[in-house]
Parts: sequence; C-alpha cells; structure tokens
Amino acid sequence: MSPQVAAYWFVFLKGVAITLWISWLALLLGGALGFVVGMMRISKWTALRWLAVVYTEVFRSVPPLVLFFGCFYGLSFALQLDLSPFAAATIALTLTASALMSEVVRAGIESVSHGQWQAAYSSGMRYDQLFRYVVWPQAIRVMLPPSVGVYISTLKDSSLASIIGYVELTKSGLLVRETTGISFEVLLIIAILYFIINYSISLVGTALERRFRYVH
Amino acid sequence: MSTDPAPPVLKIAGLVKRYGPHIVIDGVDLDVVPGQVVVIVGPSGTGKSTLLRCVNGLEDIQGGSILFEEQPVLSRSRTIHAIRRRIGMIFQSFNLYPHLSALENVMLAPVKVLGEPAKEVEERARGLFRKVRLEHRAHAFPSQLSGGEQQRVAIARALAMNPHLLMFDEPTSALDPETVGDVLTVMEDLATEGRTMLVVTHEIGFARHVGHRMIFMDGGKIVEDRPPADMITDPQNARTKQFLGSILQH
Repeated sequence: MSPQVAAYWFVFLKGVAITLWISWLALLLGGALGFVVGMMRISKWTALRWLAVVYTEVFRSVPPLVLFFGCFYGLSFALQLDLSPFAAATIALTLTASALMSEVVRAGIESVSHGQWQAAYSSGMRYDQLFRYVVWPQAIRVMLPPSVGVYISTLKDSSLASIIGYVELTKSGLLVRETTGISFEVLLIIAILYFIINYSISLVGTALERRFRYVH
Repeated sequence: MSTDPAPPVLKIAGLVKRYGPHIVIDGVDLDVVPGQVVVIVGPSGTGKSTLLRCVNGLEDIQGGSILFEEQPVLSRSRTIHAIRRRIGMIFQSFNLYPHLSALENVMLAPVKVLGEPAKEVEERARGLFRKVRLEHRAHAFPSQLSGGEQQRVAIARALAMNPHLLMFDEPTSALDPETVGDVLTVMEDLATEGRTMLVVTHEIGFARHVGHRMIFMDGGKIVEDRPPADMITDPQNARTKQFLGSILQH
C-alpha cells in the first residue's frame, strides 16, 4: 500500500463502521417491517394481503438508486422536511430490505406444514401460541440463510448512499481517491474491505444455521 | 331396572359441511356416550375425516349443530380453544413437532396451554411413554423414530391433555405394515380402559374386537350404524355390503 493512501487508514475504518451501522439499522428496521408485511401476507383479510403484495412487489422492483433519489429529493419535497442524507439513505435501504424480508418471512411460515397448524390448534393453542411454540421455531431455520443474503445485499446497496452525499465506505474511498489522486489502489482497498465484511457475515450466518439445525 | 344412560359427550345433529357448492357432509346425526368406541368406515372422500375436523372446530360448518359436553362447537368462537383442550386428536401423518424431542412433544401443550408445572407434566409424560411402550425413546426426535413409534408418541401427546374424547383420523394408514400392530395394540388398551373414542379407520379387525358401534358413511351421510360384528357379518345396506366386501377380500 502506498504511504499516501495508508495515511488515510482511519477514513477507511470510519467508512467501514458507518457502512456496518447503516446497513445493520436498515436490516433491523427492514426486518421488523418485513415481519409485519409478511404476517399481513397470510392474514385472513383480503385487503391486508393485497396491501402487503403491492408493498412487496413495488419496493422489490424499484432499483435502490431510484429509491435513494426518491427519498432524498422526493420525500423531502413532498413532506416539506429537510431529510439528512443519513435519514434518506436509512429509509431507502429499509424499504428495499423490508420488501425482501417480507418474502423471507412468508416463505418461512409457509414452509411449516398445515399438519403442524392442525396439531397445534387441536391441542388448544391460540394463534399467538401456535406461532411462538410451533411455527417460528421451525420457520427460523428456513428464514436464516435468505436473511443473511438480504443483509449482504442491503450492505452492498448502502454504497449507493454515496450518491446523495452520505459518507459511508464507498464515499470515504472516493474522497481519498480525490485527495490522493490514486485511483486503482483505493478502489481495490474498498473492494477488499467489502469482501471481508460480507464474507464474515456469511460465516456468521453459516454458524447460526448450524446452531438452529435440529436432529435429522 | 334400567339405569339412565349417561348424557352424550358428543351430540351432532343435522351437520352439513360444504366447500363452495361441494357438499362433503350432508346431514349427519351422531351421539357418542362416555366410554363408547365408535368406528367410522367408508370409502375415501365421504367426509369421515372432515367430520372429525368439524368436531374440534378445525373446520367451520354450514348447517346443523355440534355439542361437545353440552357446549356448542363453533370454529371461530372464543370457546373453541377450551373445547379443543378436552379433545385429543391423532392424525394420519402423526404431525409431531420436528423441532422438539418426543418427550417435549408430549409436554408442550400441558405446560404451555394448560400452564401445568413442568415437573408434574414430565412425570405424567414418562408414564404415558410406558403406556405406549416407548419409555426408551423419550429423548429421540421425530425424525429418528419409525412411523409406528411416531404415531404412539402422537397418542401419548394427545393423552397428556387428559382428554374426554379421543379422535383418530386413519391412524394406521400411513404406517408400514409391521408397525400397524403396535399402534392398534395401544388403541385397544385405551378402549379397554373405557376411553371415549371416535376412530376413522379401515382396520375392520380393530372395529370388530374393540368397537361398540360401527358407522358406515357414504356420500356424506351415515348409511348404517350398528354393532361391528353385526355389520361385518350381515350388512343391511347394499353399499355397505359392497364396501366391506372389497375390504375383507384383501
């Protein structure tokens, strides 16, 4: 590594921290929202199911870049408030992540067979008990691998926040590139840092999957 | 000299079940008194399993009424959970919870639904494993058990709730032939104990040995309702005769 670039190590480090923070935040919010939308997908009320489908399909289809612009400029204009790049990026990432997570939640629930529902109901369980003791413990196994995938894709999407001026890892690197004039090396460092982060997440995911696996 | 007969545990009157325009159960009347073992036979698709699912409110009904211990069974009411706790259900495909051990399967509902202390429930569960002759398999997971073993765990799971009625939905149809006997033996023990049982099955031998009543259903209706030995040796209805003939030939 050339000394000019190495001198900015703390900028890269801060970029990594911010990227981890915003993507984690978006995954938490997106997970919570996706959970609600996923439950709406299996609701007995047609209107709720319909609403959930529209939500999922819309935010799954719109490219993240368009969402970033939409949130930063569109939302700020429509709601007459001055959204910070951080707020706009978090909302945009959350919208995409929640749409993806709602599908993960729905698939997880649907992976639990109808017979399990019948057995649980037959023993007198209520809807909430059925989910707590029978459905979620089985669904989580199915939901874990794609959830890790959603996190990784959210983390990668967060690089687009650089477009609206949010200084995360990619933007940090681009600033270093501007300052030092060294292009290839800086981009390589960014790429390697993303790889290390995402590969670690992947490893953690595999370890979690092993923990949740039950005897077969 | 005759004593008053015990009031029925289950009282079904004029039951109608439809899926859209398709009528599955077409006016069924059935009373079951305590200690009675009622065996329901009939061709597939004649509403036998649906009838059981209506009794514990897994299906809503379109006509008639079901009273369980004098309480109406209404699939969407708040009372349905309390009724289901008193009815044990055993399924053709066992439906054990794959993420729990056999023992945990048996303990789950008494502890979480009835709120009984885990210690007491475990003691009772151990006794039930002895009853179904699986005391050595209590810590196995469903995937490690044979079909016959899974079904006996499912029976123990139903018994753990101290149900007032046991319903069996073709309990041996998904089993390998060599494990059918183990399950039937357990069911015979239960019948001998005086349990009230409603059994949908094709096991005519079981019906003959332990059944008090045999019901033949066809086209969503009860066609014949008599003591098993009588029905098997001398079926009155042409459809019954034809059905039993085809089963007994094999």
